[in-house]
Amino acid sequence: MSWNTIIFGGMFILSLFIFINLSKVKASKKQLDRPDRINRFGDKKPEDDIKIIRGLDENK
Amino acid sequence: MSKHSALNTFGRSGNPAFTRNFTSNDSTLPISEKMTLDGAVNKTSILLALCFLGAGVGWNMPALAIPAGIIGFILAMVTIFRSPAKAGSTAPLYSLSQGVMLGAITMLAEAAYPGIAIQAIGLTFGILASLLFCYKSGIIKPTENFRLMIFSATAGIALLYLISFIMSFFGSSIGFIHSNGLMGIGFSAFVVGIAALNLVLDFDFIEEGAEKGMPKYMEWYGAFSLMVTLVWLYIEILHLLIKLNSRR
Repeated sequence: MSWNTIIFGGMFILSLFIFINLSKVKASKKQLDRPDRINRFGDKKPEDDIKIIRGLDENK
Repeated sequence: MSKHSALNTFGRSGNPAFTRNFTSNDSTLPISEKMTLDGAVNKTSILLALCFLGAGVGWNMPALAIPAGIIGFILAMVTIFRSPAKAGSTAPLYSLSQGVMLGAITMLAEAAYPGIAIQAIGLTFGILASLLFCYKSGIIKPTENFRLMIFSATAGIALLYLISFIMSFFGSSIGFIHSNGLMGIGFSAFVVGIAALNLVLDFDFIEEGAEKGMPKYMEWYGAFSLMVTLVWLYIEILHLLIKLNSRR
């Protein structure tokens, strides 16, 4: 077996293992809690509504 | 309405599979009917397995490359523009047919440049894993501007390929696309970069869909979108490696 096969074959197996396992982990807070996230589905998270209600409450 | 008028006109993603508008999440859906990360990953694994199965067939029967490529293209168009909700039935067929095409192409490339197939596969999955890590850890953050940039570059590349394809009927072509000169290699490297960055948008789509509880069929659609990008990335990496090897 050549070094080419060992190196790139190993890279393939390791990468596939990382992909399958890491994909199932939720992204970091640094990634998810950003104000400039793409909003494809046009929905707000329930927490956003809570913040707005609290904001109004504080103004009273 | 977006502050970017181009986004309003052409859609909001670099990946054509994401330019459709989907109905927002339905809070009445039971949890078992909602999209999850695990579900999307499992479906991606199934599609990858089917692609490798098809590649085995294509490797042994290279004459099937063109019919399989055409069937795969039609299935992709149907899934994207007609019935994303039926991705559960079209995506496996797409993966199988694209696998046949990739297997045949890879066999021909391997015959010309031994060792190139494993390099292309290793690099494709290496890029996939690296970008997934960069996305999950927040090193790369997809924003509206990022998406607009990737969409513009992807559309530009698609247009260039289309013009080159039409010109080929008249015995002409855009030279640098297939040349092994510095310009040709630079172009291929740029296209590999854009294809790779489309993966980040795919990861973000799946993450957001799962977070917002989209319907279950979106797991298949997210997995299909990832496969579309992976197939493109693999072809471009193989193209780049062929150019580099042909210079020796």
